[in-house]
Amino acid sequence: MIEASSGFPSSPASSIPAVTAAQMAEVDRLAVEDFGIEIQQMMEQAGSHLAELVRAELGGDLRGRRVIVAVGPGNNGGGGLAAARHLANRGASVRVILARPVNRMSEPARHQLAILLEMAVDCCVAIYDVPDEELDRELASADAIVDAIVGYRAAGAPRDGVGWLVDRVASASAPLISLDLPSGIDPDTGEAAGAAVRATATLTLALPKTGLLSETGRGHAGRIHLGDIGLPTALFRRIGVEVNTPFAPGRIVRLEVDG
Amino acid sequence: MTTTQRRSFTEKLGLLRELELFSGLSETDIEAIGHATTMTRCHPGQVIISPDDPPDRIHILKRGKVRVYRVTPDGKQLTLDIYEPGTILGDMRLLGQDRVPEAYADAIDAAVICTVTPDELRRLVERYPIIGVNIITFLSRRLQEAERELEAMAYQRVGQRLARKLIDLAQRFGVDTVRGTLIGARLTQQELAEMIGTTRETLAHTLADFRRRDLLDTENHQVLIRDAERLAEVADAGEES
Repeated sequence: MIEASSGFPSSPASSIPAVTAAQMAEVDRLAVEDFGIEIQQMMEQAGSHLAELVRAELGGDLRGRRVIVAVGPGNNGGGGLAAARHLANRGASVRVILARPVNRMSEPARHQLAILLEMAVDCCVAIYDVPDEELDRELASADAIVDAIVGYRAAGAPRDGVGWLVDRVASASAPLISLDLPSGIDPDTGEAAGAAVRATATLTLALPKTGLLSETGRGHAGRIHLGDIGLPTALFRRIGVEVNTPFAPGRIVRLEVDG
Repeated sequence: MTTTQRRSFTEKLGLLRELELFSGLSETDIEAIGHATTMTRCHPGQVIISPDDPPDRIHILKRGKVRVYRVTPDGKQLTLDIYEPGTILGDMRLLGQDRVPEAYADAIDAAVICTVTPDELRRLVERYPIIGVNIITFLSRRLQEAERELEAMAYQRVGQRLARKLIDLAQRFGVDTVRGTLIGARLTQQELAEMIGTTRETLAHTLADFRRRDLLDTENHQVLIRDAERLAEVADAGEES
């Protein structure tokens, strides 16, 4: 396969430690509780980097390109919504598909959604607001699909509207960019318990998740990139992980994976 | 009343009888209420509430599911929530709650709703105080659910922090005994609460829950970890995202 010339600096994946979902949960907790870094701050950076990766995957220009952003109810979905705003700001024609009704989403994600609604970005809830055939047609004709459905905290096969949307996105053929992990794969092992997407590229946040670098995980993730969400080295040290300035070359780093 | 009207009225009484709001009432009372309320069968897609409605109706969802949505500036619908049977919707000011502004509600499948005006409901409560009691029960349950959710959110984090702290203390001061690992440091609940940034009351509640789950025992200001493996699981548990 000829790889897109993304323009991002690269580093060997082996030079950066990978973390489990439990370790990442602890990182998030320390960020908020001990360092006072708010979820919205991290979400904003995740969304901004994700839009940048979509731009690179689409050859460098978002203007007039059709991008469907598939959004789950948690904070991974919130990152997707922030990305939707940056994509729209940079000229993409964006449609947001939510996996669950608005009131069932996390508070930070709803905050991001409110901004999009004010911007009049097209947002709808899968199953209830958009007929299946229309959704499939849109997914088939999109220039790119953003997968921000399930994050690292998910356990087991996605259910309800979430599982339904993962299934739909997994069957689409457009280039697909996943946030943090391809939806449907286990963050620790990379195995899929049910439907799972196969991404063209994945932007994982802060540190790679162990499942992403496993053989199965790599098969789902496509080109793996690491995005800086501003977490300090001292924070990782508290969980016993030594991180050696992975973002020195740039805030988005392409990970070179062996094999 | 014609035979058809009579049959439909009997069916309506049956539906009223099934409503929790009217439980504890006699057949005669139910029949009287039957005259004061409207029972509507809605077909899928039928609009039940619209922002243009006069704010004077309370609907009780009897059967089926209802979708609450708003219309975006470009005229498209955005689903806010899905309501299950038993939900009271519409103008909730009489019940101490505001309705969602600019929201519409429509039936997803064949739904049955019971409608009453606030004035009628007030008259019904005056005449049948048991309805007032039932409303109090409904609202208390709703409040309890909300409190439980809040507590669960707060507790989940406290439980996780406590488990982590205990594991940390066990590694530093733990003594292995036949019953488990005894943390050889005497700590008051106040001291332990301060260590994990919570109140003594919440800590006591969390410790009691851990005791119930056989994770630990407490005696003489000391903690005995009975199941280190499961305690580690609590320490690692994350919230769904």
